[in-house]
Amino acid sequence: MIILMNILLNFGIGLIVTLSLNLEVGYMNLPQFGRMLAVLVGATVAGGVAGRVIAALLGFPFGVEFAGADNYRIVNDINMILEKNPILSILYLILTLILAAALGGIMGYLTAYPAIRLREAYLGITLLAFADILQNIIWFYDPIAGGTQGINVVDPFRFFGPKRFEASVYVIVAVALLVFIYIEFLTRSPYGRVLKAIRDAETAAAVYGKNIVQMRAFTMIIGGAIAAIAGALWALYTGSFKAITYTRLLWTFWPWAYMMLGGTGNNLGVLVGVLIFSMFRTYITIYKHEISSYLMISAEWLEYILVGLVIVLIVLIRPQGLIPEKPTHIIPRREIEKIISSQEQGSSEKR
Amino acid sequence: MYTIDLAIKAIVYASGIGIGAAAITLIYSATRTFNFAHASMVTWGFYMVFTFTTLFGGLPEYYLIFAGLFSSLLGVLIYYGVNIWLLKRGASEVTLMMSTLGVDLIIFGFLNVYIDFLAGYVRGLGLAGVNPKYFILETKDLIVPYLGTRLSGLVAPVILVLGVVLLHLFLTRTKIGIAMRASIENPPLATISGINIYTVYLLAWIIGGFLAGLSGGILSLISTGYNTVGMTLIVTFFAGSIVGGLYSVFGSLLGGLLIGLGEYIGIYLLSMYVGGWVTVYRPVIPLAIMVATLLIQPMGLAAIDWSKLLKRVGLIKR
Repeated sequence: MIILMNILLNFGIGLIVTLSLNLEVGYMNLPQFGRMLAVLVGATVAGGVAGRVIAALLGFPFGVEFAGADNYRIVNDINMILEKNPILSILYLILTLILAAALGGIMGYLTAYPAIRLREAYLGITLLAFADILQNIIWFYDPIAGGTQGINVVDPFRFFGPKRFEASVYVIVAVALLVFIYIEFLTRSPYGRVLKAIRDAETAAAVYGKNIVQMRAFTMIIGGAIAAIAGALWALYTGSFKAITYTRLLWTFWPWAYMMLGGTGNNLGVLVGVLIFSMFRTYITIYKHEISSYLMISAEWLEYILVGLVIVLIVLIRPQGLIPEKPTHIIPRREIEKIISSQEQGSSEKR
Repeated sequence: MYTIDLAIKAIVYASGIGIGAAAITLIYSATRTFNFAHASMVTWGFYMVFTFTTLFGGLPEYYLIFAGLFSSLLGVLIYYGVNIWLLKRGASEVTLMMSTLGVDLIIFGFLNVYIDFLAGYVRGLGLAGVNPKYFILETKDLIVPYLGTRLSGLVAPVILVLGVVLLHLFLTRTKIGIAMRASIENPPLATISGINIYTVYLLAWIIGGFLAGLSGGILSLISTGYNTVGMTLIVTFFAGSIVGGLYSVFGSLLGGLLIGLGEYIGIYLLSMYVGGWVTVYRPVIPLAIMVATLLIQPMGLAAIDWSKLLKRVGLIKR
């Protein structure tokens, strides 16, 4: 049961991040190597902004002191209040997610500035650099979220009591599925088709009057907002926040691997890819000691080697991923068949 | 005294970054591959120097060549294992980049296995105070008599200059070097004139790998070595490469030097005039220089028309 819960946890968080990545990479062909940025913003919002809001509402100090030495005491007191007040807890949870999405969206919009001007490798490295700069600042500048000391995150799941872990996992998976449905609708809408058109033939899309700059900015806002939700959920689940734990590897490169395994530009493929990887990673973590004693090497390094191998093999053997992207039908298949058959009848009558 | 030592360390650091940035640029301009595996290749450079110095004694400078050779070997493996197949398929830049990321994770995994093994071995030898997980070679460096500076302060710039001269001679005087330049400029045309571009790609990986390992070795002379040192430094290398212009090897050597000196000396000056609290933000400096370059002059230093610029400033007459 605990294994299943761990898989679900990794799956939920991974799915949200990877879907947001897929929206930008798969549907718009934008080399988003700075996914960590928006995730970090989301987590920082959960620790440093939403926590302050609830502290202010409940009459606790919310200035610099909130992120200072008294942080543990303040957050503990707030947690005690939230524990007895489910409605407030749920409101706080929703507020955190909304705030995270808003700031993540703003960050996405800001990073769209270079995205309009640069291409391919240049853009990828610039986005990666932005993420690193932000991480460095949050890590060393104490007033935002405690700096190197980290910050405790106010816990909205506390009122579930002993069922806290299960409840938080269910909430995360529910949010992930909502995001999946939202992105699925979004990418099937005319907007999604425009994105694909820009991806496949930018000049042609521009000729047909599509505003490419606006589309890019809009996609990066949505992508950033969704990734920030994942970051906020992760910070709420772990109950503490330290900027240094949000690494490029975990929040940028691993989602890239999930996406490539499943199928770039295909949300269902992403779901499958994330599921496979989260099972794989959870099992490796659980059977760490057994693996180490059999293979004489630490399971942690084995995980790196295997994930790297998966990336290389996918790129070499099956670049389209496990479930390749399918063309979207604007009208249902049955309708198309009807039209074709009526045309065939018409042409045979003429003869 | 402290200031002089700092300046020397800055020179060593900048030389290391410059050579590493040149490695990224060489591989990128030849094969369109933005090499993420550079991180682990640099770290292997650190560890080769460390291994030889620990096991055989002597100055760390002796073993710089092995650092280069080992990473060169890694480059060949990457080329024949992954890169050549993707190049033959005409894969996109982002796909090439992702493939090297996968390779980087694999090499990183094996590096850590090696470090664990080395730690066990060193423990068996009973060497006190040697920790492969976190090592400092600075103390083993020789203080040059009469000058009173560390040896690495002389070796690193000499290697840099030697590298520039050799690379220049290679690219302009040898047949294969000229073929290399031709196929970087225009691959289809080079193929038509009978140049085997796959040999050129291989050569780029060999030289690029060598430079990557060498830069790791040079950096190990002044900074602490640990398993993720390459991952920490890689953005700085990218910054040097991009500031230099991504298409010119000498431009990125210069860019890397600039970034390295800017980082080391800039933070020193800032901490003197702004306050000590600023030192923790040191990694931001190269990134900020890089982002500014990308947004203002995306083609980098190599694309600046120097004579025009000097004319405008008024340094030379029209």
